Amino acid sequence: MITRDWLLSDDPETRLQARLGQAYRLARALARNPLAMVGLVVIVALLVMAALAPWIAPYSPLEGMLSNRLQPPSALHWMGTDELGRDIFSRVVHGSRITLMIVILVAVIAAPLGLIVGTVAGYYGGWVDKALMGVTDVFLSLPRLILALAFVAALGPGIENAVIAIAITAWPVYARIARAETLTFRHSEFIAAVRMQGASGLRVIGLHVIPLCMSSTIVRVTLDMAGIILTAAGLGFLGLGAQPPLPEWGAMISKGRAFILDQWWVATMPGFAIVVVSLGFCLFGDGLRDVLDPKQRTKG
Amino acid sequence: MIGIENLTVRFGPTTVLHGVSFEVANGESFALVGESGSGKSTILKALAGQVEDWSGRMTLDGTAMKRGDAPHARQVQMVFQDPYGSLHPRRSVDDTLAEPLAIHGIKGRDARVLAMLDAVGLPRRFRFRLPHQLSGGQRQRVAIARALMLEPPVLLLDEPTSALDVSVQAEILNLLKGLRQEKHLTYLLVTHDLPVVSFLCDRLAILRQGRIEEQAPVAALRLGQLTSAYGQELYRRSTEG
Amino acid sequence: MSLLSVENLRVAFPSDHGPVEVVKGLSFDLGRERLGIVGESGSGKSMTGRAVMGLIGKPARVTADRLEFEGQDLRALSERQFRRLRGARMSMVLQDPKFSLNPVIRIGEQIAEALEFHTGLTARQRRVKVLEALEAVRIDDPERVARLFPHEVSGGMGQRVMIAMMVVMEPALMIADEPTSALDVSVRGQVLDIMDDLVRRRGMGLMLISHDLNMVARWCDRILVMYQGRIVEELGAGQLGAAQHPYTRGLLASVPRIDEDRDRLPVLDRAALGACQ
Repeated sequence: MITRDWLLSDDPETRLQARLGQAYRLARALARNPLAMVGLVVIVALLVMAALAPWIAPYSPLEGMLSNRLQPPSALHWMGTDELGRDIFSRVVHGSRITLMIVILVAVIAAPLGLIVGTVAGYYGGWVDKALMGVTDVFLSLPRLILALAFVAALGPGIENAVIAIAITAWPVYARIARAETLTFRHSEFIAAVRMQGASGLRVIGLHVIPLCMSSTIVRVTLDMAGIILTAAGLGFLGLGAQPPLPEWGAMISKGRAFILDQWWVATMPGFAIVVVSLGFCLFGDGLRDVLDPKQRTKG
Repeated sequence: MIGIENLTVRFGPTTVLHGVSFEVANGESFALVGESGSGKSTILKALAGQVEDWSGRMTLDGTAMKRGDAPHARQVQMVFQDPYGSLHPRRSVDDTLAEPLAIHGIKGRDARVLAMLDAVGLPRRFRFRLPHQLSGGQRQRVAIARALMLEPPVLLLDEPTSALDVSVQAEILNLLKGLRQEKHLTYLLVTHDLPVVSFLCDRLAILRQGRIEEQAPVAALRLGQLTSAYGQELYRRSTEG
Repeated sequence: MSLLSVENLRVAFPSDHGPVEVVKGLSFDLGRERLGIVGESGSGKSMTGRAVMGLIGKPARVTADRLEFEGQDLRALSERQFRRLRGARMSMVLQDPKFSLNPVIRIGEQIAEALEFHTGLTARQRRVKVLEALEAVRIDDPERVARLFPHEVSGGMGQRVMIAMMVVMEPALMIADEPTSALDVSVRGQVLDIMDDLVRRRGMGLMLISHDLNMVARWCDRILVMYQGRIVEELGAGQLGAAQHPYTRGLLASVPRIDEDRDRLPVLDRAALGACQ
């Protein structure tokens, strides 16, 4: 049976108990931070919304009635309707799927790529480091949205290409962080010890270096989510991301721009969704950093 | 077991070891004594394959070491000074001890890990603890256990007790002495602490600024009969504080 | 009148299993003398020094029935008032000078900084004071050392600079937490000599916190032996041999000697010690 004492035991009897205990301590520390909890609620709400979109949304996100266009928010249409008479609330709800997909794909592509490049560069040093970091710096020196624009322009507009473009612009930051962290313990004794035991360079990086860089990368990715959402929305706004009629939030704002003075809700509602979700990721990332950052952790 | 002949080490423009030679017999416990900057730790690092630019000749059990080559893991292992820095902060005792077995594809990990915990006097219930849940002495026991997992005949000890409390130091010194008798190990110990040498070693070499000032049996140390002036000075400071 | 008076000092940290006390009701008085506090890690000796300096922040809790320094109640001080006191009237030397000196500021400027904060001296007067302080810690060419950066000096020199930084304000109380354990044996003596000299000539009170029983016994007028947050024994100078408490005796016995002929070193029986507490 799982009890609090069993989880907090100083002498776990199995590997599983030790892992669960660590996870429990982490979760408890996180739960003590109210802002992080607000962030978590927002993220969970986003997940639920994306998963249950067809059941939550009262109308179709793609079809509307032209006779019903540009209605202000009311009991029937909570966020009003857009220029084609589509229910904005339904579109925002379905748009959460697109946002979530972008965020997850970018994280899955960019974080591991950055982590590997950074740890390899930091661990081997020398010309490997110079070459890898040279490439990283080239990417870092270009403004993110502009670079993404260039890629989308080359690859053609569309949501998949937007994801690839954002991922390509996102990884250098993780590489930098991972390299900096790798450098701090490259010459540490626990790395020297495992090398003396005959571990190969790849083994040392994979099993000993990367796990130590993990938490800072996770924190950074969470904090970056807001930026990724904004970049995706920016591409959408410029017509280079998701293509109509897909209910992507940035593209929705772009469309609503034409009516911003008289029908404010068309642009504001998706903008509001972007702000809430970005803020949620930021708050949760901040909380995670407080819990995971070993520099802030007191010695046991 | 260990043969060092005319070992010279340079770090960039500075030479930290000037043609050092000594030999350690099989089963012997040999101490390198000196102050910081004397080059005593550099000798250990060179033997451990962590120094790039060296010349001279180093042999381990008859086989000569090549430059840029790590010694074979099953021949020699090392115990580090800082029990806080020498264990991976995110890996449990079990992970740390099983790792060398995994690297070399050795079977029966559970049994070996438990046997080693017993051998270094760590309670089995500590097996899944993380380093931050252990005291300094317990960490040093884990470090010693890790070094012994591959059953190497030679242990390099880099100030293994200088970061520990005296009562814990006594426990670790007893452990090291016992393990040496039990497993017929050869020790090469680096320290600045003469009484520790007196307790744990058979012979010592005194280093100063990258040169060996004198080699002596430990009996000479106990009686205060070191021959070099510098050796006498170290002896005097050690007895007076 | 004593310089520092402590009664029933307690320091507690919250933990998973309720608050844990690391200092459990400590009482002592310090005059213009050298007081040694000895104990092993976890004995609460460092926490005692930091509690007196007002350096223990949340989440720990510090309580005392009395905590007086020069007749002033330290418990009632605000953080601001404490900051005025620290550095000026009481100061602390830490174990490793590398971590206590700012690496990008020249040594002379770092010492002068404290003067600037606490006194109204002119730049010229400060400079003279700095050189005096460096001379006081037996640095031969203070002019040159004042211009160096911390990484350009050796460990022993760094520790002397630290002490110079502490004494430049002529504090009444100096707390030294393991001031020599990061140093080579040959430099240790010098650093202790300098501190000793300052105590005698300037009438400072010195609290020397260390794990090294023999060293403290040689240098202090009085020794408090701490074990698990309590004082288990108080010894006068040179009375180490007369120690009564099993912990002190056990500690002494476990130190290897240079003419060692024991096959095994005696080890503290912690279970028995726990029982006799």
